[in-house]
Amino acid sequence: MNARLILLWVLVGIPLSWGLLKTLENALKLFQ
Amino acid sequence: MTASFLDREHTVAPPGFNRFMVPPAALAVHLSIGQAYAFSTFNLPLTKLIGLSQSAPGDWDLKQVGWIFSIAIVFLGSSAAVFGRWVERVGPRKSMFTAALCFGGGFLVSAVGIHLHQLWIIYLGYGVLGGCGLGIGYISPVSTLIKWFPDRPGMATGMAIMGFGGGALIAAPLSVLLMAHFKTATSNGVLETFVTMGVIYFMFMMIGVYAARVPAAGWKPAGWTAPAQPKQLVTTANVAVDAAWRTPQFWLLWVVLCMNVSAGIGVIGQASPMIQEIFTGRVTPVAAASFVGLLSLFNMLGRIFWASTSDYIGRRNTYMIFFALGIVLYSSVPTLGHLGQEGLFVAAFCIILSMYGGGFATIPAYLRDMFGTYQVGAIHGRLLTAWSVAGVLGPVLVNYIRQYQIDNGVPKAQAYSVTMYIMCGLLLIGFLCNFAMRAVDEKYHFRGSTEL
Repeated sequence: MNARLILLWVLVGIPLSWGLLKTLENALKLFQ
Repeated sequence: MTASFLDREHTVAPPGFNRFMVPPAALAVHLSIGQAYAFSTFNLPLTKLIGLSQSAPGDWDLKQVGWIFSIAIVFLGSSAAVFGRWVERVGPRKSMFTAALCFGGGFLVSAVGIHLHQLWIIYLGYGVLGGCGLGIGYISPVSTLIKWFPDRPGMATGMAIMGFGGGALIAAPLSVLLMAHFKTATSNGVLETFVTMGVIYFMFMMIGVYAARVPAAGWKPAGWTAPAQPKQLVTTANVAVDAAWRTPQFWLLWVVLCMNVSAGIGVIGQASPMIQEIFTGRVTPVAAASFVGLLSLFNMLGRIFWASTSDYIGRRNTYMIFFALGIVLYSSVPTLGHLGQEGLFVAAFCIILSMYGGGFATIPAYLRDMFGTYQVGAIHGRLLTAWSVAGVLGPVLVNYIRQYQIDNGVPKAQAYSVTMYIMCGLLLIGFLCNFAMRAVDEKYHFRGSTEL
């Protein structure tokens, strides 16, 4: 059960983290 | 896959099921349909399907293409209202599957429209079919999450609805990446991107379909008992959707949501030109795009932050903060612009957008407090018509008033001042409606069995 729980969170976490990273990269340009 | 796999009876969780499996299921759906917020990345490429590098005769113009998103938002609100009770009856799995079919299918139908260069097919595909996917997908996990987390309903629904904000953060760079990947000498890559995104989003939403579970009848979190003395404005009774529709509380909440969304959505659409015009010559288009990205980020973070906070301070108090703080911030924007305070200007809008997102994420828990859990998903669906109205009202107010000011000789840098004060007026209406909120009269309470 725990492995499935971790897998589910990883599956939704990876794209969300990638999107966050890209947004933060762009947001930094505002302060450059 | 058989039909029975999708039925509500087959989604009842076995004993010992970990309820934290449900939020990622909801997130898988909301992260997908949140793509709608980033649809504008396709606007320019769709106007250059023939000319490729620039619009050619026969290419669609921006105004025509802009209708795709508007139709999708109208169908989001109307399908949530129409199919809310069906979603409640068939459960999260079948409704998420339907949403995946509609949303993924919407992209594929639109790809046919691009191939044939027929705009009406795209209106029908992404606008109507995709819009229905948005509406059904948006409400499908809400009541399930509220039932799994009676102790923290704000946090649970906030987590899912945060996904809708987060979907734009993924979709914007993904669309750009895919269009660049598929670009050739004879195609700008939009058609291939639509097909790829349709397949990707369908598969990603299937994670939600497989993981969604409803709690068994009478289930409660281990060690949790419902408070003997319910908090003020938190009911232990239930109100059916058809009765809720007739209560003053429903319409007060409708106005509360509509005002909060109108104030925020107008800013989202005009954020890039607004910061460039208020700080003329000091903010480049690249920096303005970064400002828009930052607003999306705060829109997403506000959803989980404010919805979780509402579990502790109460829903009504949370909206009081949205409206009171919103009025202070909106009214300070013209002064900040006049003084050239870019940093404070950006900070003010980040907080405003966090409250815009927070308004969306806190409303399901507010509905649960007022009407109980019985048909909260269906009631939420009907309330989302406020979003459709706000989606027209907010941008129209910002765009038309700005244009009216400019046409009457007001410098561009000052053309937003009146708009900001009108936004304060909208927020004041929301504040008063929220202030007037009282418990639902007992005559509306549902007396029958609430087991589905």
